[in-house]
Amino acid sequence: MAGEVRLEELTKRFGDVVAVDGIDLDMPPGEFFTMLGPSGCGKTTTLRMIAGFERPTSGRIVLDGVDVAQVPPHKRNVNTVFQSYALFPHLDVAGNVAFGLKYHGLTKDERRRRVAEALDLVQLGDLAQRKPAQLSGGQQQRVALARALVLTPRVLLLDEPLGALDARLRKGLQVELKALQAELGITFVFVTHDQEEALTMSDRVAVMNGGRVEQAGSPREVYEEPSTMFVADFLGVSNLLSGEASADGSNCALRVGERSFRAAQGAVDSRGAVKAMIRPERIVVEEHGAAGDNRLPGLVERAVFLGNAFELHVRVVGGDLLRVTVPNDGSASAAGEGAAVMLHLPAEALRVLAPSPAPAAG
Amino acid sequence: MIAWLRNPWGRPRGLVLVTGLYVAWSILPVGIAILFAFNSGRSRTTLQGISLRWFTGPAGVFHDPALQGALKHTLFLALICVLVATPLGVTLALGLQRWRGRGSGTVNTLMLLPLVTPEIVMGVALLILFLKVFPGLGLGTTAQAIGQVTFTLSYVVVIVRGRLVSIGPEYEEAAADLGAPPRDLIVRVLLPLLAPAIVASAAVVFALSIDDFVVTQYLSGGASTTTIPMLLYASARGAPTPALNAIASVALLITLGTLALAFLVYRRFAGGSDAAVAAALEV
Repeated sequence: MAGEVRLEELTKRFGDVVAVDGIDLDMPPGEFFTMLGPSGCGKTTTLRMIAGFERPTSGRIVLDGVDVAQVPPHKRNVNTVFQSYALFPHLDVAGNVAFGLKYHGLTKDERRRRVAEALDLVQLGDLAQRKPAQLSGGQQQRVALARALVLTPRVLLLDEPLGALDARLRKGLQVELKALQAELGITFVFVTHDQEEALTMSDRVAVMNGGRVEQAGSPREVYEEPSTMFVADFLGVSNLLSGEASADGSNCALRVGERSFRAAQGAVDSRGAVKAMIRPERIVVEEHGAAGDNRLPGLVERAVFLGNAFELHVRVVGGDLLRVTVPNDGSASAAGEGAAVMLHLPAEALRVLAPSPAPAAG
Repeated sequence: MIAWLRNPWGRPRGLVLVTGLYVAWSILPVGIAILFAFNSGRSRTTLQGISLRWFTGPAGVFHDPALQGALKHTLFLALICVLVATPLGVTLALGLQRWRGRGSGTVNTLMLLPLVTPEIVMGVALLILFLKVFPGLGLGTTAQAIGQVTFTLSYVVVIVRGRLVSIGPEYEEAAADLGAPPRDLIVRVLLPLLAPAIVASAAVVFALSIDDFVVTQYLSGGASTTTIPMLLYASARGAPTPALNAIASVALLITLGTLALAFLVYRRFAGGSDAAVAAALEV
């Protein structure tokens, strides 16, 4: 299957600013690949280089075995869905979708059929005569999608295509977009700063920061096994503990202040000053006075009701503030503000982090 | 009165008052001039009754061969000017917008120079140019057309570039992404998007050309190259009758009509969103 994108040592400088700093990424055919990161991390510049709008300073963009780094955008078999959609305001929906078909040497009938098919695919068949200004944001987004997909590109590039939509619509389109990708089997390269979007839609996620790839892997890998502090912090809420690492069999003994913890995840062979992280939902709240290893007493400072869960802010011995998510399962286990509790940090949920930046894994 | 002006809850009445006074002051003489075009007597100061004799009568403007010649020549020059300055200005605007290299800043500033140069300086400079540098061209219609194109070009560039900036690069990127080669970016995307600005700038060029006196006068070559403004100036110094007012009214009507048309076309296509062009139309 065609649609493989390989980035090799790809670099882009704007004057003195290094926007993309020699990244290597492999996007196999038919994959839903997401570049995730804060604004200014280089994800959009990378996408624009794949599309051909920016010329790389150095490095290669290999599309199905051919280096296209110096090929102008109109000669690349990739298409883009823009963040602002960039629908041509002077053309109606059908005219927008038909725009690129002119360069495919089709007969008029065939063009009309392809446009109708593409519009059906995004369920906009009945709006073909409307102008973009007469469409809602969600409808414009679908037109932009149809306009790109009608050309059957080998790779579809999506630059935060859901960013301008409201939360409800976004959720629906996330599911649709993923289903569409699975159905068409086209490689999707998706750019977003929304970690939830990245986790729910992607086959693989590359977390980017400062023009580099911090970590690439399946959504589960990058969430559950972040290899750097940045990844741990960017993907959801995480609690960070600073401590001294030493050997403890196959695990890591972590000394935090007066207490010692056993950590079974991550860079367990690190020694010396390290950071360790644990997700709020993996901390277990126990009665004050409960005994055992990997336990830490604390006071509940705030209890925030989230609907399906409570978020507790627990000030632990030593002064750190840990965030703990307790499901609202009716057991009334959520301690109120001011209550003394014991936090259990299970060894298999405690992850020792390599210092950031680190070479990309996965 | 003071209390009425200082009412802090209503509209800013002081500003309304000043604006109203200014509008009255600027429109009043024009209104009086038009009114006397309909005078039934020969006086340009005493209204003796209303008639159309200075338009349709035997001595009226519609029967004056000098006026008809001047009107024809004025419209001819305006047409040439629109046909040359508009495409040239659009091309320049596109080029300047894309050109990011050395010297682009200087050229951008130089483009604005004709807008601020006193017209008399421009007129004299062009006269010297045609007499000393290109004596072969001589004075007359060609020199007048070249002169008018020279200073109207800047208006086209300014209006079209304003629109180009507000369009942004994303439509061109989208078109290239969909496979359009560079030539098609302009033909299939930029020109349709620029259409309102092109119509607006053509109208501005037309109005500037019709109204121009200084440059056109300097570069004229005899009676056959007389335009309406030149005729107005000449007859004002001769024996003025209300026919003069009638000519002026006709000229005003043509100018206003062109600008109104351009404004409507622009609003229709651009939704009246582009303040820069709207301002430019109020030259």
